[in-house]
Amino acid sequence: MALELNKLTDQVSGMGETLAARSTELAARLPQAQAALKSMVDDDPILQRKIERALSFHWAGAIPTNEPVHARFPCPAHPERANIIAADGSQLYPNRHGIALYYLINTGSIIFPHGIDDAPTCASEPHLFYKNDDMYMGEHLIQGNLVDSQRDLAELRELARLTATEGESVPTLAMVDNGLLLYLGLHSSNQRRSDEILRDYLRALSEIHTTGAAICGVIDRPRAANVLRLLHVAELDKNDFQAEDLRQLGDYAQLTDRMLFESLQPGERSALFINASPENMEKYMPRGHKIMFFYVNTGSIDQPGILRVELPEWVAIQPQQLELVHAGVVEQARFGSGFPYVLMRAHELAVVTWKQRGQLEQMVAGSMLRSGVSPIISRKAQGKKWTDGG
Amino acid sequence: MNNSVPHIPIGRLLRSTTVGFTFGCSVPEPEVPLFGDFVKAPAQHGQSEVIGLISDILIEDDPFVRQLIAAPDLPEAYIQDQRKNRQVPIEVSVLTIGYRRNNAVFQELPPQPPMTLDYIQRCEPEEIATFTGSHDYFALIINTPDTSADELLPAALQRAAKARPADERRFFMLQAGKELARLLANDLPRLNTLLRRIQVIP
Repeated sequence: MALELNKLTDQVSGMGETLAARSTELAARLPQAQAALKSMVDDDPILQRKIERALSFHWAGAIPTNEPVHARFPCPAHPERANIIAADGSQLYPNRHGIALYYLINTGSIIFPHGIDDAPTCASEPHLFYKNDDMYMGEHLIQGNLVDSQRDLAELRELARLTATEGESVPTLAMVDNGLLLYLGLHSSNQRRSDEILRDYLRALSEIHTTGAAICGVIDRPRAANVLRLLHVAELDKNDFQAEDLRQLGDYAQLTDRMLFESLQPGERSALFINASPENMEKYMPRGHKIMFFYVNTGSIDQPGILRVELPEWVAIQPQQLELVHAGVVEQARFGSGFPYVLMRAHELAVVTWKQRGQLEQMVAGSMLRSGVSPIISRKAQGKKWTDGG
Repeated sequence: MNNSVPHIPIGRLLRSTTVGFTFGCSVPEPEVPLFGDFVKAPAQHGQSEVIGLISDILIEDDPFVRQLIAAPDLPEAYIQDQRKNRQVPIEVSVLTIGYRRNNAVFQELPPQPPMTLDYIQRCEPEEIATFTGSHDYFALIINTPDTSADELLPAALQRAAKARPADERRFFMLQAGKELARLLANDLPRLNTLLRRIQVIP
């Protein structure tokens, strides 16, 4: 017996009603947050002290920059000629029920020549990991979050390679479909491997910096609430608040920054903020890669499409590079239904289909047989093949 | 038969039956493939060559292309990316009209269709002139249930005429018209339409 959809009718109906009620309730609380953002005073020494205290509690909020927090910036003109480079990765996780232990990272990339009529340059680069050092952390099999971090690292390395080859002849913007902070790797149980990945990741960021290219990470439908946490801190009555006071967002609970900035006009971006997360302040900032972010509307007035764009400080402090990021994301999103076209293409180049996965499995099986090893899947996997039809 | 890889393949075979086959190719060039072109594909492990006429060219879409359709002022680089880099399938259908084996031409259905992934080549003018030396293949075109048959035959005849010296083309078309009159004696409206469309184009 498979999923009996008829038994879900009442639950799905209830879910729809609950979602509608939640949406109404959040919409009712949103104006308060928007008003708080609008009324926030620049260079408020009391707020500065509150932020400093919050940071001591590993607060994952947003730190204002020299731009007023409620400022809005229209989309600047795109350079007539620029190279927009994107990389995206996909992965096959280790499968302990499969014929062999390995994992795969496939990185797709595209160099889009904005301003000329040439076809973009596309590539994909697969990499198979199967050695003991790749697969095991001591006695334990590598975890999925480390594979994800390896994928993120592969993306950034590819961007570093491509930005180096493209040179500085035209403005160059590199993009990834993700934030620029490696949360997953840092939460891994294997600290040594995590540190190595972070070290290599920051090295790749430095290499991109050296080429003169700008870089940004683009997040669609962001769930972050860094700016809302800032509003919450600003409204705390006492100055000697404790960590406990920061855990909840009070009136802003379950709201997101995306909702807060949905009133941005098409093409407009919000002010820049510094990501106050501990990863940024403790790992990235000391190595010269403080990560900042803004929100931008790549949708329409009727249907806002709010993207979160993360960028290193060394990009944000150069007006021309900041404008290239802003204009580049908006221009690319014009041809990707609100999401950058180059990121959609890089994903398409990276993705490993089920059919390709099966073909790779056959290649691996053939190689094993030639080496005198029998490729056998687990009994559980065999059972699933029979029952799932796969 | 020559088993070596052809010099200018225009695609590879996707699927086939005895009466026709379909091949896939990349973005069409201005001159290949064209509706009505004579093409050939190896069969029977290279012992024969199936000859056919391109009867349809299908350019598939996908959701990515569809969303770009609505984009205003689409820059050329996006168009080139879709056309040259993405594997948007272009399917070319071919109606089989005969085959060649041991230098002999047969204007009838072949004993075997070509195989998947075989190279498809455009026929050379000499091959077209040789194959169209008789008109028995007309029946295979006229009797096809495909509604484009009455478009396909004139297009093929124009190719066949051009494969001949200029002073032979008018006579070739005249002979073709006589054969059509014999085949379609009971369908005068259709014959009239076809005869109007097989005039010699200089």
